Amino acid sequence: MSTVIHTESLHKHYRRVHALDGLDLSVESGQVHGFLGPNGAGKTTTIRILLGLARKTRGAASVFGLDPWNDAVAVHKRTAYVPGDVSVWPNLSGGEAIDLLARLRGASRRDRAYRAERDRLAEVFDFDPRPKGRSYSKGNRQKIALIAAFAVPADLYILDEPTSGLDPLMEVAFRDEITRVRDAGATVLLSSHILSEVELLCDRVSIIRAGRIVESGTLDELRHLTRSEISFEAEGLAALEGIAAAHDAAFASGRATFTVDSDDVDAVLPELARRRVAGLRIAPPSLEELFLRHYGDDLEKIEANKR
Amino acid sequence: MIGTLLRQRFRRDWLQLLLWILGTVLMAVAGYSGVTQSYGTLEDRQNILAAALANPVILMFRGLPSGPGEGAFLAFEVLPWLAILAALMSLFLAIRHTRADEEAGRSELLSATPASRTLPTVATIVHGVLANVVLAVLTTLALLSVGLDAAGSTLAGAAAGATGIVFLGIGLIAAQLMRTSRGANSLTVWVLVATFLLRGIGNAAGTPSDDLTHVTSAWPAWISPFGWAEQARPFDEDIWWPVALALVVGIGLAVVAAVLQSARDMGASFIAPRMGRVHARPALASTHALVWRLSSGSLIGWAVGGALTGILATSLGGVIDQVSTENPAVADILKKISQSGTLDEAMVTVFFTMLGIVAGCCAVQTVARARQEEAHGTAEPILGTPTRRVMWLADYLIVATCAVLIVAAAAVVFAFIGMASSGGGSDIARTVLVDGAGQAVAASVFTVITGLVFVLVPRATIGLAWALLLIATMLGLFGPLFGMPEWTTNISPFGATPVVSGGDVDVRGLWWLVLVVAVGAVASLTLMRRRELATNG
Repeated sequence: MSTVIHTESLHKHYRRVHALDGLDLSVESGQVHGFLGPNGAGKTTTIRILLGLARKTRGAASVFGLDPWNDAVAVHKRTAYVPGDVSVWPNLSGGEAIDLLARLRGASRRDRAYRAERDRLAEVFDFDPRPKGRSYSKGNRQKIALIAAFAVPADLYILDEPTSGLDPLMEVAFRDEITRVRDAGATVLLSSHILSEVELLCDRVSIIRAGRIVESGTLDELRHLTRSEISFEAEGLAALEGIAAAHDAAFASGRATFTVDSDDVDAVLPELARRRVAGLRIAPPSLEELFLRHYGDDLEKIEANKR
Repeated sequence: MIGTLLRQRFRRDWLQLLLWILGTVLMAVAGYSGVTQSYGTLEDRQNILAAALANPVILMFRGLPSGPGEGAFLAFEVLPWLAILAALMSLFLAIRHTRADEEAGRSELLSATPASRTLPTVATIVHGVLANVVLAVLTTLALLSVGLDAAGSTLAGAAAGATGIVFLGIGLIAAQLMRTSRGANSLTVWVLVATFLLRGIGNAAGTPSDDLTHVTSAWPAWISPFGWAEQARPFDEDIWWPVALALVVGIGLAVVAAVLQSARDMGASFIAPRMGRVHARPALASTHALVWRLSSGSLIGWAVGGALTGILATSLGGVIDQVSTENPAVADILKKISQSGTLDEAMVTVFFTMLGIVAGCCAVQTVARARQEEAHGTAEPILGTPTRRVMWLADYLIVATCAVLIVAAAAVVFAFIGMASSGGGSDIARTVLVDGAGQAVAASVFTVITGLVFVLVPRATIGLAWALLLIATMLGLFGPLFGMPEWTTNISPFGATPVVSGGDVDVRGLWWLVLVVAVGAVASLTLMRRRELATNG
């Protein structure tokens, strides 16, 4: 498996602001790679450097083994890009904007396959190509970029928060398209702050914070870093006595709750069986918890401000 | 509640309104000093009026001849232009605060509060009427301050303000009809241009008085708000009822707009937006094609401007001959600007200096569009495709160069048409060609300057490029009038172009201009290789 995207201690400074502060990101060929972080963490800056739209201050970045700044055109030939904030031309219809972008990416003017694909995508995304730019909502502008990106095959799809304006039905359509291009062998870098989406789609996840990758791995690997939550019906905290691996014991509304390291779950199960607990619930760590582990102090700040 | 809304709007608008109003006031004052300096005596003014009556082209761009008095002559010269400024201020104001806000979703926020749905429209009516009252009062004060009589000054100011109020109403109606602010603005501007021309046609087709100082307009002038303003004949007969008519129509239209507003859904429009094409034309397949597509609308406008300048350059020759034999001061000024031989040559040179400025505006606008694309976010997906940064900018420079050539060519062609129709004077054909080509080079200087600014200080592109053009215009066109030293004129590209003097071509600064264009183009494209996307903020 070859590496499609690789950065090493990548820095980007805008005057005094360090948008990227030593970012190490690696995306292997054929992966759907989730790029997670809140707004302002540096996702868009990273993507712009990978596309040669911005220049790195320090460090190394390569896409398909090429330098994204000097060989931008060669990189773009194999890449489809959906910007985070899609704008359209006021005097072009949606259909014209899609055709223009697709043709710039190499769709030929009389290409039947492209036309069929475009029409299929317009159908799938329930998109009307006739209105002119100004009258499109955010979601519809995003569809323009998505249709243009998916209508021409690419080796790499770079998508910057592509579903932030889409409704739930369209998100399903979007996931189908991602699955389709992955099955075709393409690599996807999916930037997002919607955890459920990343959880559903991505093989690997990198969490970015303040311009650095703070965690990277498969979802399974990452899950091992946090604890599963186990709860059952009980009379009081006393029900938890004697369970060796239990952390954070608590009791509320008739249920006893504790957490265990993911590796210890099977060790705890016989003990629970012996006690014949009722209403047993075991929740594997969600991506959200993973995420909050790294952003916990930010969360505390928000909580503190509430008081 | 309406007070809160108006205060917020005043904070958003005050600078813009101030500039429109000051522009109107300055035009009135400058117009007056122009009249007293160039046409000081009653006889001068009678001659000009007689010449104008003989030439329909002049009547299209000036007001209604209403006597040779100083004030009446000033109204003939500038009243339609004062009214146009008031009209533009009002129509943009009307649409900015109704349809544009609605499109951006701001009205929706507002309408969800206890404010009613019609409140934005009602507030816009109050706001627009206030702005026009201020404009009328300040214009009146300006006219009084130069020593014109009170009745005429008040009426002239009121006529301009009343025209503004009519266009406030038209803008509000357009905002109800069209789905987008772009559509509403262009509909209203078309109405403005059409009614302005109707008024000119009405005056040109009117009946001159026996002493050739007055015109009784034909009917087309009466279906135009600009016609009503002129029919007031300030400083002559001082008729108030056409101004009252304008006020009634303006307020009437505004009320109709408020009624229409309450009869439709938020975000809807009475005319469905025109649908675009499902598929792009085969030609729309490159950034080059995109730049043409984005620029073509405004290019048509600039080309029409070029054509008008061209036809005036040669068809006014006869009139000016007549004027300048009786008024050596005019001939003197013309020669100062053009620095050339015969009066006909001077005429062409002066008008072609204006052509250079028109073409320069076209160039700046076309290249500055690259910055608009970048700031607006539409450049990003384009640059994410296999499009070279350098070629992307080069496309704007190439299209701007072609646009300049088109505008200059329109001027040259129409100058020849004007020459043919005014009969004879084919000896100035060479002047037309040399001036046209020279001014195209001068305008191209602004293509590369705007390109350089865009590469080096992206966020300042639009302001800086237009400011440089304005400075060059001032130095090149008005420097000679204000008696500034010759070198200041010569640093303006428009003042350094080749001229024909008594049949001989003097190349002057041509090679410098060519050098600047070449170096600028190479420099901006070379620097573009190292420039990253400069998004907004």
